[in-house]
This record gives sequence, C-alpha cells and structure tokens, in this order.
Amino acid sequence: MRLRSTEAGWGAPMRALHWLIAALILAQAIIGLTMVGMGLTPAKVRVFALHKSVGLAILALVLLRIAWRLGERRPDDPPATPPWQHRAARAMHLALYVLILAIPLSGWWFNSASNAPLVWFGLFEVPGLTGGYDPVWKPRALLLHQTLFWLLVALLVGHVGAALWHHFRQRDDVLLRMLRGAPKNGNKR
Amino acid sequence: MKHWIARLGLITIALLVLPAPALAQTWQVDAAHSKLTFTNSYQDVRYTGQFSRFTAAIDYDPADLAHAKFDVTVDITSLDTQNAERDQAALGAAFFETTKFPRAHFVTTGFRKTPNGEVLADGTLTLRGITKPVTLVVKFVPHGDTATLDVTAQLKRLDFGVGTGEWSDTSMIGNGVTVHGHLLLRSASPL
Repeated sequence: MRLRSTEAGWGAPMRALHWLIAALILAQAIIGLTMVGMGLTPAKVRVFALHKSVGLAILALVLLRIAWRLGERRPDDPPATPPWQHRAARAMHLALYVLILAIPLSGWWFNSASNAPLVWFGLFEVPGLTGGYDPVWKPRALLLHQTLFWLLVALLVGHVGAALWHHFRQRDDVLLRMLRGAPKNGNKR
Repeated sequence: MKHWIARLGLITIALLVLPAPALAQTWQVDAAHSKLTFTNSYQDVRYTGQFSRFTAAIDYDPADLAHAKFDVTVDITSLDTQNAERDQAALGAAFFETTKFPRAHFVTTGFRKTPNGEVLADGTLTLRGITKPVTLVVKFVPHGDTATLDVTAQLKRLDFGVGTGEWSDTSMIGNGVTVHGHLLLRSASPL
C-alpha cells in the first residue's frame, strides 16, 4: 500500500479520506433532509445531535485531508487532456474543498447562534462560535448552511458525472486511481 | 367596683404605653433589579432560564421569622432560555402547558432556622396544576432601607409533570432543577 500519491495515482490516505468523507456526506445529507421534517420528539433531538456530531467529524476529516493534500502531488491528468478540462477539474476540486469545509462550519455557526447544545457523540461538549444566542445571525447562518448544501449537491452531480465520463467514455483511469491507487500499467487501461 | 375600674385603667394604659409586638416588615420588590432564574440540563449541557415576569409579596424580618411570609406568582409565559425553539416547546402541552396553566404560585407555610444558622422557608408550590411542598434556602442581607433576598430551591420537574410522555426521559432533560431568586427589596414603610 502506497502512502504518497504519485504522478500515476493517489496514495492510500487520500483515497481512504475521499471515500470516507463521501460516505459521511451522503449519510449526512439523508439525516439532514429527514430530520427537518420530523415532529418535535426526543427522537428528533437525537437525530439532530447525530447530524451535528457527523458534521463535526466531516469537518475534522476534511481538515486532515487538506493538511495531507498540501504535502502531496496531484497525479497527472490523462494524456492529451485539453487545458480547459484541466482548469475546470482544478476549479471543481477547489470548490468542493471549500464547500465541505464551509458547510459544517456554517452548521456549527447556526447551532451556536441558536444556543443549542453541542456534544460530540455524547462524549464531550464542543464550544460555540458566537458567544451565545444570536437571533440576528441565526437565520443567516441557516440560510448559508442550506444554500451551500444545495450548491454542493449541484457540484457533486458534475463531479460524479465527470468521474463516470472518464471511466465509461474516455476509458481512462481517473476513477480507478481513486479506487485502487496507481495502476501498474500506466494511464490507459 | 372601684378596684375593678382601676384595674381596667391600668390595662388600658399598659396597652397604650407598651410597644406593640413587632409586625413583620413589608418590602417592595424592585422588579428591575430582581431576577428569577433556574438551571437544568438538556442533552447533558447545563443551561439557565429566566422568568422575566413575576410578582412577590415579601414580609420579612430576620428577627421575627414567625411573621415572615413570601407569596410569589410567576408568569410562566415569560420564560426565556435564550433559545427560541426550546422556549416555544417548553410552553407547549408536553411541558408547562401555559394555555391551561399560565402561572405558578408559591406561598410559604413557615420559616425555621437550622442549627448552623441557615434560614429555611417551607411552602407549597403550585405548578401545572400540581401542588407540592418546596423548601427555600433564604439569604437576607439588609442595607438600610433596602435589602437583598436570595432564595434557592431544588425541584424535580417530573414532580410537577413538566415533560410528559417521551419527554419524561431524564437522560435528555435532567429531572433536577435549581431555582434561584435574587430580589432587591425596598422598604415599604410610609417614610
């Protein structure tokens, strides 16, 4: 198992963090969209608490991933990639990093402005970001949290679409090298 | 007969001259400088709430506890825990049910002093239609024409049916509630 990314593929830590964060984002979206429609019961309170804990876990993993990524090289584009595709891919990936940082932060901000409890998986209390109840910023933080989420959904359609396009239409290893790392026989399957 | 009249006269003079037994001092509450707060836990996090509207009739003289009396009415709808959703839920049917029980009432039944000098006020609290005995720890500090009165009580929310059904789960919302009143009193004497 290769730790470092090379010109031909991603190292194991980048791949593990990519798929772990992807799975958590999917779970988090399902939890978040379900919980807002629930009637006020202790179950709703527990689901909200779960959403907050998963969100903080995603935030921590994204920070770890960015820290690791800063010390990594990016695998080369497939041969003969047009410059616009290169730039589009870089812009997309940068935007995804910004969103998966900003969405948990805006949720944390909303929770803080709501003066709601924040206990990570029941283990320890996480401090607020606003110094208590803040009815002015509370609705703005919520609007930001929701808007950024739907923006992420839109970008993920493009991200997943591009990965499938590479795999099925271009028949290159862009998707495979995120799944199993650097192939032994170069870029073309 | 003469003897009898003399005796009556003596009694009359005694009643006029001897000081009347001290009446408990009546105080007025300075609402702007008084607070009624409580602490409880929600999802294992302590929080503080406040009832911003309450009235209190306070008769208190530390030297005459036999005539002391507190009579307090709390407007439950004035609840504020610095969390709009929580406040709204707390006033609803599962908790305080303020449409049926908008007020809580506490009245003392007697005062006593513990061996270590602490003053306790025994009384009854009526909350959400349930009346139970509650004891306050009383700290009274006079400052001339004013005084501060701090009272603390330990309640159990389930004793009063606050948080019914699923909400009676005390791992979500703690059962113990500490109520604290801090009152600034002003002398109600005519001068």
